[in-house]
Amino acid sequence: MALKGLDIFKLSPKKNCKECGSPTCMAFSMKVAQGAVSIDACPYFSEDAKAAMSEATAPPMKTIKVGAGENEMVLGGETVLFRHEKTFVNKTRYAVDICSCMDDATIEAKVAELKHVDYERIGERMYVEMIDVEYDPASGADRYVEVVKKVAGEGRVLILDCQDVEVAKAALDVCKDAKPVLNGANAQNYEAMSKLATEAGVVLGVYGADENELFDTLAALEKLGNKNLVFNACTSSVKAAFATAVQFRKAAIKDSNRTCGYPSIVNVSKLAKGDSHLQAALLSLFTVKYGSIVIAEKISYAEALPLYGLRQNVFTDPQKPMKVEPGIYRINGADENSICLTTVDFALTYFVVSGELERSGVPCNLIINDAGGLSVLTSWAAGKFSSSSIAKFFQEQDIEGKIKCRKLCIPGKVAVLKGELEAKMPGWEIIVAPREAVQLVKFLKDMQ
Amino acid sequence: MGKFVVIGERLSTTAPIINKAFTERDPEPVLKRAEQQLKAGATYLDVNIGPAESDGEDLMKWAVTLLQSHFDNVPLALDTANKKAIEAGISVYNRAKGKPIVNSADAAGRIEYLDLAAANDAICIALCNGEGIAKDNDERMMYCQTLLERGMEHGMEAEDIWFDPLFLVVKGMQDKQMQILECIKMFSDMGLNSTGGLSNNSNGMPKAIRPIMDSALVAMAMMQGLTSAIVNPNDLRLMETIKSCDVFKGNTLYADSYLEI
Amino acid sequence: MPFTAKSGKFSASINTLTMGTGEKAIVLGGENVLPFYTFDAPIENAPKVGIEITDGGLEAEPECVKKYYEGCETIVDMAKKAATFEGVDFLSIHLEGGDPNGENKPTEELIKIVKEVAEAVDLPIVISGCKNVEKDSEIFAKASEVLSGKNAVMLAAKEENYKNVGASAGLAYKQIVGAESADDINLAKQLNVLLTQLGVDAKSIVMNVGTAAAGYGYEYVVSTMDRIKAAALQQGDATLQMPIITPVASETWGIKESIATEEDMPEWGDQEARGIDMEVETAAADLASGSNAVILKHPVSVATISKMIKALV
Repeated sequence: MALKGLDIFKLSPKKNCKECGSPTCMAFSMKVAQGAVSIDACPYFSEDAKAAMSEATAPPMKTIKVGAGENEMVLGGETVLFRHEKTFVNKTRYAVDICSCMDDATIEAKVAELKHVDYERIGERMYVEMIDVEYDPASGADRYVEVVKKVAGEGRVLILDCQDVEVAKAALDVCKDAKPVLNGANAQNYEAMSKLATEAGVVLGVYGADENELFDTLAALEKLGNKNLVFNACTSSVKAAFATAVQFRKAAIKDSNRTCGYPSIVNVSKLAKGDSHLQAALLSLFTVKYGSIVIAEKISYAEALPLYGLRQNVFTDPQKPMKVEPGIYRINGADENSICLTTVDFALTYFVVSGELERSGVPCNLIINDAGGLSVLTSWAAGKFSSSSIAKFFQEQDIEGKIKCRKLCIPGKVAVLKGELEAKMPGWEIIVAPREAVQLVKFLKDMQ
Repeated sequence: MGKFVVIGERLSTTAPIINKAFTERDPEPVLKRAEQQLKAGATYLDVNIGPAESDGEDLMKWAVTLLQSHFDNVPLALDTANKKAIEAGISVYNRAKGKPIVNSADAAGRIEYLDLAAANDAICIALCNGEGIAKDNDERMMYCQTLLERGMEHGMEAEDIWFDPLFLVVKGMQDKQMQILECIKMFSDMGLNSTGGLSNNSNGMPKAIRPIMDSALVAMAMMQGLTSAIVNPNDLRLMETIKSCDVFKGNTLYADSYLEI
Repeated sequence: MPFTAKSGKFSASINTLTMGTGEKAIVLGGENVLPFYTFDAPIENAPKVGIEITDGGLEAEPECVKKYYEGCETIVDMAKKAATFEGVDFLSIHLEGGDPNGENKPTEELIKIVKEVAEAVDLPIVISGCKNVEKDSEIFAKASEVLSGKNAVMLAAKEENYKNVGASAGLAYKQIVGAESADDINLAKQLNVLLTQLGVDAKSIVMNVGTAAAGYGYEYVVSTMDRIKAAALQQGDATLQMPIITPVASETWGIKESIATEEDMPEWGDQEARGIDMEVETAAADLASGSNAVILKHPVSVATISKMIKALV
């Protein structure tokens, strides 16, 4: 984050000695802020002031990597509080929790259930990326290591939820190469845990009974030199969890409080207390507001379908439109004789149009053009959704070889293309569809 | 970023009708002008009672109470060379709609106005000027630093010191105009707020020309980062320009009726 | 060193607005912080949850909702039943059958329903239109008349019919005027300005800035609401300080995640759970982004969201 001249000036010696070549300390501070001169040009800038400056120019939130190989994923690194200000960069990751108190059958069933959700949506793999393995002291250390071993090969990043140093060490021994999160530091054990995490080269998760204890423990760990951290939002209540997640993110990004600048873990399984729909609501809440890893009791398709869609939306870059793959989308069991409709590859257009087509129940072929991910009118204006681009796309994709029907509906907003298309695509009957997608159901039904 | 702050300049002893009303404590002309300015979009009203050496305290109290009671605690800039009058004004001032502005300190004889503002948790306009007009921006920034340090020493937040580059008249000082604009950029780069008597640039020009020059300058100055100006809000062209620039700068959300609100 | 957070309390606040009358009246808005940021300042009026019934009655409801209305023979029965569900703060009567491109029910028929329902329940009422601007003008004028004195919400006036709706609902009958802007933030502001210029009290306007189901372009919803709250609270823009009401049910119960049967999509599992979670997750995101009230359909969704709100405020 760039420092304003004023921030530098406040740290400057304010002597106006001109030795740096600038007439005043203020002018010098301004030049430093612009990057025109180095701070070292001033012989009187104290070391403390320089340290404070370098601290202030560091990114507001750490970028933390967990997992290894193809399972490596990046958390944090955000620079804004609201996506419209720039963009969010690293999406929320989801975990399902298991516990060493569960029997094998339960664990196997839970793993099977979480692995069941695995699908692609607009080029993104949607699956439960992590497994949280909670340590139950009553079932003992050996059982914990056994459970960790059991799920280590499932292709998911593990979160070792264990605040007992010895047990954590044993568990790490069997899985540290996969770079799990060691989620177990607290106000009492942080020194030993930090040593363990650092030696294994893994990220350390930090707990605190409340915000103050959490903050103090993070600060103490930073003092030990460990900045490879994530923190757990307090789970004493939904309110407390939300407060930690929001306040720490806000403090990091808006108020440059570096100690708060770590990714968060929010355990909604603990908050929802078995109410699966409340858990779904909380999954959504913490995706919108500042959960980096959210742990749930279960994620089946019911939770996942809205959740992953929401996440995909919230974490899109506002500068880059979401695109779907161009090609033929067969809807309602369409075949080669079903009517054709064509539109652009802007994801929102695709979803709205395909949703309406599905609602109509009419079998149809939706042909998505390569239009640069822009909306109908924008891509038309940019020449990316023109009669020649459509004709060319139909030829390249060999649409005529794949579909026998020769009726093609075009969006009402580009009705002007009708004549040109008829000229460029002989044999096709070009039909102008309504301007708005909501009118498609009636349009298709009327046409039948 | 917040909206550009327009400080209405029309309640001034330099206007004979206001001077008379101040002297006679006649509310009507004062309220009329205040209302005109507020309707036109002024945020603050400047209350310039002149040197007011004899009855400044009483007059300022009268003006502050009169204006704030009629216009929902409208925020005011207290403008006089009589420091006691400013303090008297603040003593009856209601902050519900914004801190009072002390108008103004400079880097020479009026530097204590900053102390006064600090002591009263007020905003202070700080003129980057010593004795006579600054010869270049190095000098202006030196004054800026002096003023900033003085304010901060007395416990002010930097954001409560609004730096005035001193707008200069085009007729006679045309060659200095870009300097002033560059100076505003420096304030802005430093993260400082700024204001000034912008219409000074068009002094002496034909009446029909002034709104054009003022509007052009305000647009350029806002581009450089000017955050406020002391102007005539009843200059329609000027206000339309300011509102439009606020839209471009994202200080306010656009709506088709943006000029009407 | 304890953790000290700078307060994010603003000097501006969202308008307060009372829906309904008597004991069941509810208040929307009033907060001077972002949604659920109770650590910055207390939120006096927690967001509210409404339940939607339609003029189509039981027949028009999704299969999984029908069982909750068992024994209901009329729409009035349904309204009475809906009023008893846990977490319901207000009732929305969605008159979708009025659409000239759909069933085209006469206005009189719809107004009869409104009147009967209003007499049978004492909850605050929202009238949701049929989306056709001409027909809605007519429906809202008549509904405002029969609901006179009830502080009902007419959802909503649009760019094309704000003059009619503003004049009847806002000026003649002093109801609450909804202003609908479908994810267009500049239009949201403009409609508020136009309605107030018409003479409608700014404090009697509620905004419907639109929503999408989660996954369906939801980024626009988040950014629209984030920017409106920033303008209203941070920039103190009085033309955007109206509370936001969001009809969620009408968006989520029509998409394939909710309507595909288990036979169609065996791997997706239980259809009812999918429908509820789509509604609940969309509503939770709406509330987190700035809605002061949401309108839902499934009784379990209503109870769940109400529970979440209570846990947060």
